[in-house]
Amino acid sequence: MLKLFNQVGGSLMEFFSQAGDFTVISTRAIRAILKRPFDFENLMRQFVAVGVNSIPVVLLTGVAVSMVFAVQLAFGFKQFQAQGLASSVEGLAVVRELAPVITGLMMSGRIGSAMAAELGTMQVTEQIDALECLATDPIHYLFVPRLLAALVMLPLLTGLAIYVGYWGGYLILVNVEGQSAYTFASEFYKLIGTRDLRIALTKAMVFGLIIALVGCWRGYRTRGGAEGVGNAPTSSVVTSSLWILVTDFFLTKLMLV
Amino acid sequence: MSSVIEVANVSKAFGPKVVLKNVNIEVEQGESLVIMGGSGTGKTVLLRIIMGLLAPDSGQITIDGKVIQEISIPELFEVRKQIGMCFQMAALFDSMSVFENVAFALKRHTKMTQKEIAVRVDECLAMVGLRGSDKLKPSELSGGMKRRVGFARAIALKPKILLFDEPTTGLDPVMTDVIGRIILDLKHELGVTSITITHDLKSAFMIADRVALIFQGECLAIEKPEAFKVNPNPVIQQFLRGDAEGPFLQDPPPPKRTRQEANL
Repeated sequence: MLKLFNQVGGSLMEFFSQAGDFTVISTRAIRAILKRPFDFENLMRQFVAVGVNSIPVVLLTGVAVSMVFAVQLAFGFKQFQAQGLASSVEGLAVVRELAPVITGLMMSGRIGSAMAAELGTMQVTEQIDALECLATDPIHYLFVPRLLAALVMLPLLTGLAIYVGYWGGYLILVNVEGQSAYTFASEFYKLIGTRDLRIALTKAMVFGLIIALVGCWRGYRTRGGAEGVGNAPTSSVVTSSLWILVTDFFLTKLMLV
Repeated sequence: MSSVIEVANVSKAFGPKVVLKNVNIEVEQGESLVIMGGSGTGKTVLLRIIMGLLAPDSGQITIDGKVIQEISIPELFEVRKQIGMCFQMAALFDSMSVFENVAFALKRHTKMTQKEIAVRVDECLAMVGLRGSDKLKPSELSGGMKRRVGFARAIALKPKILLFDEPTTGLDPVMTDVIGRIILDLKHELGVTSITITHDLKSAFMIADRVALIFQGECLAIEKPEAFKVNPNPVIQQFLRGDAEGPFLQDPPPPKRTRQEANL
């Protein structure tokens, strides 16, 4: 029994210690955004890595998820002779949920893991210590460009996912299910307003914040050589994906009130 | 002479393993101190504590009158601009070229123009005998070249203090001698205060003004090379002879065959 308490207590202590460390590092990273020197070269590199290089993944997943959702909607609404509703619900789902969440989850796998692996490798090969010895704050040099790139690029990629999501739905509901193009175009936007777009982009920004901070933090705290570097991306993807899904619920609940 | 680096009563343990016990070392302006000791005796930990990368459990480090453990993070970075650290495995930024590695601190901490930076990088690379290698990536360099690029990067900001962490480990005897000579040249040309950690006795006695030996976390001796060589302490004499038998190792592996058999 004592052993059980010991184990539970140890795990709790470890959890709070990690949460505290994440909070401290994240606060330092956010505060470092306005610190000099501004490293535009590094920032541009991150914009390309996070944004431009992610376009194919977002295009493919955006179209695929939107298409499969359209198939499900068409099938479901056909049961009630209400095929006309499929376009409206498709629009609502793509803008409010599918585009930001799928983009967030895909980016957590693509860029969050890359950040964790890159910083983890730098940590175990003493490159982060070398940065410190060259009088450079690693939080400022490594976290800030990645954080800014994720904050800017996630909403843009979500915008792209919404755009291709429209065409994915179009492909199924118009070309396969036989709806008229005019009906689809007008119904897609029927249930959504600018507020929904704002919700989607806000979610994307928050997801970007989560992905960059968790990815960088996991990498920065990597210990134990190759095994540690191997664990960092996995742990980063699992943690950020969980946080994306949890914050998605709370953001939706808060912003729809 | 005034002390530039002062290590006062520094102790450090990782869990139950005590790495440093009450270590006291003073390094004077322009002096070259070589710290020797067996593997895992806390030499690298001591350098990391001096750089502020690790916090000691007790004691303090003073560099140029500033207590490292008491200053703020921005002040610590200011102190670090005065120190060049050369890592055991060079720790070069592997995504950057040799030029970018050496120019890194110049770009971030000085207002030098691109042309001035290029001139300074060339100077630094020339000092370590690597002029013309600026476009290479770290993955294209040999172990010795990596160390030398690490030296060039460390001296780029013209630091007052240089710290070398096992600069010759894993290199062939010729390259070990080359590295030793470069350290000696840097010492004479730049007039820096330096601490070098090494196992190589030849280069140690070549570059040292004073030699220290750390044994089981304690600083056994810190004296001039001539005095160190004749120090009667059995641990020091065993270290100098390089014998397996003696008090240096607590649990040496039992010999499977005698020396004579091994030589046959």
